[in-house]
Amino acid sequence: MEYSGEGSAQGVFSCELCGLSTPFSYYGQKPPNTSSIVLLEECYVMKDPFSPEKEKFLVIGSHCSLCRKRVCVGTECSLFYTKRFCLQCIKMHLEEFPQEVQQELTKRKSVQKND
Amino acid sequence: MHSNRESNNWEWDNPHNRALLDEVFFREQDYIRARSEEHKEFWKFFERFQRFQEKREAAGRSGKRREDEGGKGQGQGKKKASSVDLGLPKEYDPRYRINLSVRTKDIEERHSSRHRREEKTGVGKQEVSACRLGLLHFIDFTQKQSFGKLAKLKKEQRNLPIFQYRDKIVDMVRAHPVVVVAGDTGCGKSTQVPQYLLSAGFSHIACTQPRRIACISLAKRVSFESLNQYGSKVGYQIRFETTRTPATKMVFLTEGLLLRQIQQDATLPQYEVVIVDEVHERHLHCDFLLGVLRTLISLRSDLKIILMSATINIKLFSKYFGSAPVIQVPGRLYPIQVIYQPIPQEEQPSRSEKLDPRPYLRVLQGIDHTYPPEERGDLLLFLSGVAEISTVLEAAQAYATHTRNWIVLPLHSTLSVTDQDKVFDISPPGVRKCIISTNIAETSVTIDGVRFVVDSGKVKEMSFDPKAKMQRLQEFWISRASSEQRKGRAGRTGPGVCYRLYAESDYEAFSPYPIPEIQRVALDSLVLQMKSMNLGDPRTFPFIDPPPASSIETALHYLREQGALDSQGELTPIGSLLAQLPVDVVIGKMLVLGCLFSVVEPVLTIAAALSVQSPFLRSAQNNPDCATARKPLESSQGDPFTLLNAFNEWVQVKSERGGTSRKWCRRRGLEEQRLYEMVNLRRQFKELLRSHSLIDTEGNSSSRQDSYQRRQRHGERKQLHRLKREHEKQESGKRKVLRLEGEESGSSSDEERGRGRKDNAVDIQDVKFKLRHSVPELREAAASSQDLSRRQQALLKLVLCRGLYPQLALPDEHNANRKDSDQIFHTRSKQGVVIHPTSVFASDPEVLHIQEHEKKETGPDKEESSKHQILAYVSLLETNKPYIGNCVRSPALQTLLLVARSLDTNADCTRIVVDGWLELGLSDAEAALRTLSSALQLRGSWERLLNVQLGSRRGDEGPTGPAVSSKDVAKLADSLLKFLLYIEISYSLRRLTGLESQNLYIGPQADPGLPTLASLFPSADAEPDPVKGGLKVTSFFTYNCLSGSKDLYSDCLRSFWSCPHCDLYMPLTPLERMQHEAVCRPPGEVQLEEDVSEQPSSKARSSTALQRQYHCDVCDQDFEFTSTEILKHRRQHQ
Ligand SMILES: [Zn+2]
Ligand SMILES: [Zn+2]
Repeated sequence: MEYSGEGSAQGVFSCELCGLSTPFSYYGQKPPNTSSIVLLEECYVMKDPFSPEKEKFLVIGSHCSLCRKRVCVGTECSLFYTKRFCLQCIKMHLEEFPQEVQQELTKRKSVQKND
Repeated sequence: MHSNRESNNWEWDNPHNRALLDEVFFREQDYIRARSEEHKEFWKFFERFQRFQEKREAAGRSGKRREDEGGKGQGQGKKKASSVDLGLPKEYDPRYRINLSVRTKDIEERHSSRHRREEKTGVGKQEVSACRLGLLHFIDFTQKQSFGKLAKLKKEQRNLPIFQYRDKIVDMVRAHPVVVVAGDTGCGKSTQVPQYLLSAGFSHIACTQPRRIACISLAKRVSFESLNQYGSKVGYQIRFETTRTPATKMVFLTEGLLLRQIQQDATLPQYEVVIVDEVHERHLHCDFLLGVLRTLISLRSDLKIILMSATINIKLFSKYFGSAPVIQVPGRLYPIQVIYQPIPQEEQPSRSEKLDPRPYLRVLQGIDHTYPPEERGDLLLFLSGVAEISTVLEAAQAYATHTRNWIVLPLHSTLSVTDQDKVFDISPPGVRKCIISTNIAETSVTIDGVRFVVDSGKVKEMSFDPKAKMQRLQEFWISRASSEQRKGRAGRTGPGVCYRLYAESDYEAFSPYPIPEIQRVALDSLVLQMKSMNLGDPRTFPFIDPPPASSIETALHYLREQGALDSQGELTPIGSLLAQLPVDVVIGKMLVLGCLFSVVEPVLTIAAALSVQSPFLRSAQNNPDCATARKPLESSQGDPFTLLNAFNEWVQVKSERGGTSRKWCRRRGLEEQRLYEMVNLRRQFKELLRSHSLIDTEGNSSSRQDSYQRRQRHGERKQLHRLKREHEKQESGKRKVLRLEGEESGSSSDEERGRGRKDNAVDIQDVKFKLRHSVPELREAAASSQDLSRRQQALLKLVLCRGLYPQLALPDEHNANRKDSDQIFHTRSKQGVVIHPTSVFASDPEVLHIQEHEKKETGPDKEESSKHQILAYVSLLETNKPYIGNCVRSPALQTLLLVARSLDTNADCTRIVVDGWLELGLSDAEAALRTLSSALQLRGSWERLLNVQLGSRRGDEGPTGPAVSSKDVAKLADSLLKFLLYIEISYSLRRLTGLESQNLYIGPQADPGLPTLASLFPSADAEPDPVKGGLKVTSFFTYNCLSGSKDLYSDCLRSFWSCPHCDLYMPLTPLERMQHEAVCRPPGEVQLEEDVSEQPSSKARSSTALQRQYHCDVCDQDFEFTSTEILKHRRQHQ
């Protein structure tokens, strides 16, 4: 396996909601090693560990646009709808979101309960 | 603006259209490149995406209307209640859910110029935006996929039992030099502890494993689990390959390799932390490593040592390291029901009989009756050995053809790699796997999905019988610890059942732990290594469990016998070299000896071949096609030559038509993996010999290549690297589904399988092979050892025999009258051994027989012939019979005289006893004397050249010794060949009876007989032998010490003799004559003697090599005489 030494850790990202923690190699909107992708928010990024190609990156998380909490992109912690929102903030402002998003959240909750 | 195409008519799956879009979105510099795996996946995704879009649009049109009607007012009302305006678009679009955008050709062009290129690209705006949307969704999808994997991985790590101990482990390691981490299967210690230490900031970590395969898989796993954030910083290092770089923070390596590193630098400065995993397995190397590490702590106060063990005998390890703290982690096993089902008396196998499969079949039946087929779960059955496995396999397969709900698979280390891999494949629904295994599945191989375990309670273990100098494979009851380990295999993925085919009282009576390896194996290599590591007297080394004192004594004796240790027990030059070679002493000797002559290439191959498992698959032996295809490879000279042929042919096939070597091997029943191991090992040997200056650092082939060749090679390598990467990508661990037996005949399905693999996949082994080795160079080496001349072959045989000595066997004298299958042989310490059925001499024993016309009767019970042969063998292993394996045949007299450690003769040298067990009888006294004398001379010069060679390799420190002159070597080789090939001498050859060997020697004489004779010999130890009597002429030759010979003083045996080299002509005793021959050289050869005598070691030599101090008792005067002058002088007084 040939992973270049690039992508060495900048620090450790840890989600303030679920506790997921992992080192990240870049924070910002222009992931390294590729010029063809621009992120629409400032993100914590690592090299995609599941791809052998060095330009493949993985967005781990970012800050909630409302409360500035550091959250992972997991569906149980945050959601992107033109901006990043943590699930706590979404709950508080649920009505602000379109029907589709609201439905998605209630559906997900019921799935979780049944689990 | 648009051409006449309507968007609806755009054919998305038209390759031309796709190519047009590829130019916009998937260029060389884009995130996804055309023709990559992901590119293919994108288009598949895109098709699904479009279908989904269409459906949604259709549904949306009707839904939208409803929303428009009722939704507006509602939304407005809520907005007032909310305190903040989030500024979100109210019209939902899935595009808003994606947090990235892509820069593609169209956008770049829009930025760079105002020109519209649509006509040129031929793609409409709509298509471009549809594709862009698809691409965004695809990237978002892959992001979600990868993040899902990441989250799952993190969750699994947190759920491991050891996770709770993470901080405790790190703290303990910080606070103590030695920590013991004990935990059972599934607690995660092997994968997690290294990561805990890495993330706590430790670096320069070594983690040892008992098995090579574990080093690779753990390095990959840890690297993966730590998300490659350490990249190349987690690596492994095994015998042939390393992923280690200067950036490596953590390396997985075998215990043996770490020991080699300590051997190079006793303080092990390259590591700060050493983790020794699986210490409870008590392998020889591991026990030794623990001992070495214990002494190392006192030298390295900064070194951290972590022992990891199953929860077996933890106190022992803790106590050994001064009550080191123990962290005990619970395992993660599901409950396992234990059912004792002892085998009834009438089904118990008696010693010679085959195993009765009925008790095992009953378990299969029981499972079929008790558990519905939709409850998945496979069966793992532990048996002691390969024969037992095939017995049960046969019966179980018969049962399976009947019930059609089992797939029965064997698992043991002598299976081909492909067959071993089958146990990991998945069975179809409603069908269970039944894996019948040796104890390899106890720890080494972990198979998921096992729910049932059947434990026979037996294991076959190798032990060493020092008296017979023989390995023995014997069946034992397992220990309680192994028994628990086997049981645990049923509870890895869910609750399980373990059937023990013995009584609970048997279980109670088992010994608690397996016998440590150090207690039962030969310790030759270990003691040699200890010596080279300056660990003092091996008898007093503080082992965790000291081996029996007799084992160490046996090893010391053996090493002295092999010349690796001197009489004081110190390493000899050859001994210190052998200690560097990671092979058996006999193989190492072979390599060193091979270097002197021009037979290095074939010796390298043979040494490598004899150090790995045989590539010839046993199962193929009964296949007539394989047997025919193998025939041309077989050599009647012996198995090492057959192996040599196989390797050379294989290299030839590789160089001519690389990819087809797999097929070539399959046709001959060869396991190609072993050939790859051989070629790797061969290279390692070559490098070792080169680094010890035993072979030339040749005018390297790379320097000989011209730039064109180099460029070509470079291009080829690039291509190979690409293939390797592609393979790694594809190899995403997809398991194949097994087919039920009977759907097609067994062997042909194997064939199919192999072929299927070949056609659609790269031969990754071939790729790796070509990356690692220069094929032209190998072909050259193979060519040089192919079609050996008779001379080269004879020399090679001599090197093999001297290397393998004392592993010699004598054919029984009555073999010619026996059936092929009843041929027996005798070694010095074991009578009645047989040839392993895989050997060429088992199928073709006639080549060892003496033909009637080749022998003559010389008395009652005495037959002489010049055609006697002996066998040198590599292994002596007792299973149901004692077998010798990997044999080579050689002319008996010549070989024995050249390699034996002890030659004893009677007065006229017509009776020569070899190593106290073989007697050579030569009726022609003149010929006997001539032959013995030249053997002595040959051995003398061979030894001298060998010492020069071993001495000169120490050139790196101090003054360089004289290099071996190739002229001298050629001359020696020539003389050896004359001796081996052209001496026609009739002799009898027999083993001595027990009584004869007991009364072999005359013993020390009160009147030594010929005191003056002693002074005749230049070597200082030419004196009466204190045990045998007679005169010890050289370290291996004692003259006139045999009892029972006619009691003659050698003086009476004087006969006239004229020296071919000088003008001497006088009556001489046999000894005087040999002495003269030993020092009298034709004028041209004197030079050699003088060169050698200039070595500092031979200080006692006076001005000319031939002269020495002689004190005549009669004239009471000192002289500087040559031996001939001494003889002449003495003659005057008579
Ligand atoms: Zn989270
Ligand atoms: Zn928030």
